[in-house]
Amino acid sequence: MPYGALEEIIVLDLSDRLAASFCAKTLGLYGCEVVKVEPLSGDPLRKWTNSNPGNQSGDSPLFLHLNAGKKSITINLDDPKGQSILAALMKVCDVVVETQKPGHLDKIGLAYNQIKKSNPSIIFTSITPYGQTGPYKNFHYDELTLFAMTGAMYREGLPDREPLRYSGEIAQYFAGNAAAAATTAALFKRTLTGHGDWLDISIQECMAGHPHQIGRRSPFIYAGEPDPRSQPRTSASGAREPYAVGTFRCKDGYFSFLPLGPRMWPNIAKMINREDLMADPKYNDTIKRSENRENLEAIFQAWVDDKTREEIFQAVQAAGVPGSPILQPEEVHKNEQFQARGFFQNVDHPNGQTLRMTGDPFRFSNAPTSSIKAAPKLSQNTNEVLRKLLELSDDQIEILAMENII
Amino acid sequence: MNSEVSQPLSSIRALELSEIWAGPFCGCLLGDMGAEVIKIESIQRIGRGPINPPANAGGYPNADPGKEPWNRQSNFNAINRNKKSLTLDLKTRQGLNSFKDLVSQSDVVFCNYSRTVMENFGLSYEQVRKIKPDIIYMLMPGYGNDGPYANYRSMGMAIDAITGHSFLRGYPDRDHSSNSLVHHPDAVAAINGVMALASALVYRAKTGKGQFIDLSQAESFMTHLGEIYLENQMTSSIRTRRGNRHPDFAPQGVYKCSGDDNWIAISIKTDEEWSELKTIIADDTLEDTDLDSVETRLQNHDHLDNVINEWTSTLDRYDALALLQAANISSGVVIDCGADSYADPHLNERDFFQIVDHPAAGLYPMSGPIFKFESDQGRITHNPAPCLGQDNEHILEELLGYSRDTINKFETEEIVGTVPLPGSDMGGSRRVAKQRE
Repeated sequence: MPYGALEEIIVLDLSDRLAASFCAKTLGLYGCEVVKVEPLSGDPLRKWTNSNPGNQSGDSPLFLHLNAGKKSITINLDDPKGQSILAALMKVCDVVVETQKPGHLDKIGLAYNQIKKSNPSIIFTSITPYGQTGPYKNFHYDELTLFAMTGAMYREGLPDREPLRYSGEIAQYFAGNAAAAATTAALFKRTLTGHGDWLDISIQECMAGHPHQIGRRSPFIYAGEPDPRSQPRTSASGAREPYAVGTFRCKDGYFSFLPLGPRMWPNIAKMINREDLMADPKYNDTIKRSENRENLEAIFQAWVDDKTREEIFQAVQAAGVPGSPILQPEEVHKNEQFQARGFFQNVDHPNGQTLRMTGDPFRFSNAPTSSIKAAPKLSQNTNEVLRKLLELSDDQIEILAMENII
Repeated sequence: MNSEVSQPLSSIRALELSEIWAGPFCGCLLGDMGAEVIKIESIQRIGRGPINPPANAGGYPNADPGKEPWNRQSNFNAINRNKKSLTLDLKTRQGLNSFKDLVSQSDVVFCNYSRTVMENFGLSYEQVRKIKPDIIYMLMPGYGNDGPYANYRSMGMAIDAITGHSFLRGYPDRDHSSNSLVHHPDAVAAINGVMALASALVYRAKTGKGQFIDLSQAESFMTHLGEIYLENQMTSSIRTRRGNRHPDFAPQGVYKCSGDDNWIAISIKTDEEWSELKTIIADDTLEDTDLDSVETRLQNHDHLDNVINEWTSTLDRYDALALLQAANISSGVVIDCGADSYADPHLNERDFFQIVDHPAAGLYPMSGPIFKFESDQGRITHNPAPCLGQDNEHILEELLGYSRDTINKFETEEIVGTVPLPGSDMGGSRRVAKQRE
């Protein structure tokens, strides 16, 4: 029987925001048992958006994605009895993923430094917008406002317009994924030493420390070079072939190209059936091709114009030029590559709907690929988890439920 | 139990064969967490920018490429902290054997070149595991290691396109040809690479088994877009480009502040936030009680944007931020990757910048690391990126036990070196070989 890489690890997921919830989900994909602890009213992300599907459970697409495969228990943490149940769970679990305001868990006696006395090997992963310390630690945030404060937004968009966020909840997913990676590294150390740890993950820092941001900050600090928003094609540096960089309209949509380096010029000229241009003195070195960029871009656009995305995709691969079609989201799961690899999995949901859901971000040859399961209904696993982890009797559980603790 | 292990990955040696972003950032994070990361480079083909850049080339300390531009390139130095550098010509028998000797003393090998590069060197997983049966070996090509696109070339921008993210990106009133060239998926592949290697190390500790890791950059990024694919199946409305707005909440946007290219992002989600915003801005047209309903605010978003812009345009962005945060409104100033970042009081308070003394580039405050472990007392050291081949002698002599004579011979035969060969930056080893002929 194959063995999940992170099997036998119990994760308590106390999250009510995206990043921490995704951290716990990612750990779950590789074998951790993830127990999501919700307030009696449920995780607010269950109702996150009004664009609600009319799904019987009423849960949002975001919730269904973030919580696939988790177990759900409810505990009233405003009640001291509820807090003591959570404390008991923390004693027997391996990882806690939490996203409370810095200092909140200390007040109710459930912070890392308090719990580690009874469970020294516990790993606490705290994921907050700005981390546990510093002047912004209590700032109100969402994806838009946090993304602004990372350095990523300033460079996104056109020079005469307002800066833009990326689509999707990119910063929060990135930080949640990074937190899962760091948590796993801490788990590895724990297998050698038996010691736990406390991780302070700041979403701002993850995105500010992203390769694009650090790669822009270094020319500034080395030589004072600014990096303002610019027109996408003119911004191509001399290291690129600027007339063929970026996104072009084609017969049935758009196609993105990113050829790197002058060594791509012969490949491009051949691809567009214009090898004659290679001998043309207007285009025979990088500087001239940059100077005559607009002419070349028009030639390139004319080649793109009457071709479909699929035709261009075949051509770029034959020519060795990096590029891909822009797919619409509903086209993605039908793409032949993702189908051939079985990346999307059919998952049956309680309302009878079968949804195609994303699978594993990476695969192991020795440990099994996960089978994606539906997100739990609210409190679906309360009894089972309390029986198994805390050895509570059915009577004890019933009393707690009557007292509105669980 | 070994209590001397101080950082999460201090006991681990990893060999990195990578350039650009995905592989190098993965190695950088492994190094941050204590792994000994040896970057395998060669003087026959370097990925550190041009060997002879023009004098006005950007990205060098004091705008001077210097005598060793490959050791002073800003991008390379930013993303290769906490690593060693060993150069090896893997196309020679001796170079390849040295790599194999090194594999036998390593835990991890990872590569972000095209899928066939390692195979062509004779270093496929099947071949490498014969040397070290429990090796953890990861390839991270754009579309994964099998399927019809297995050999397709890709870059982050291609992944952004094929996953659907590019389709949703940009200003709603512009077409996709104005999409920016900035692409995020390489970095996602990097952090998933760290997650994959760390999970495989846990698995190895429990079972004694290594493995092959197949990381598709596209699939790893698609897990960050999961709800978008579900919306398409669960709702009849198809998501379109939103810019800075949200379909359910208003107002949301990025607004102009006083000064040149200064902006603040403001996000109103609840009625309480709206009420607070009205109080701060104190504009008569916002007092219309119809605007207390989010539906009306969504319908009148352009008007609200005008009023907010008028209010912010006379304010310093940090003053606006202080007012909004004091009123419990989600808000953030748009900081650049230059002076704003370095002046950010919060990043500074948290020691995000560390002064790094690079032997060829000099003394500068550099960004990151991004993880804080309590066991490190919240501080992870940022060691400078390695100079090309700087650890050749140490690795060959101390680690592999090669004699002084052998190392000298390697240097003479250009199997190792610290200076790139002519042409090694322009199409790589084929061109070098051609010049030798």
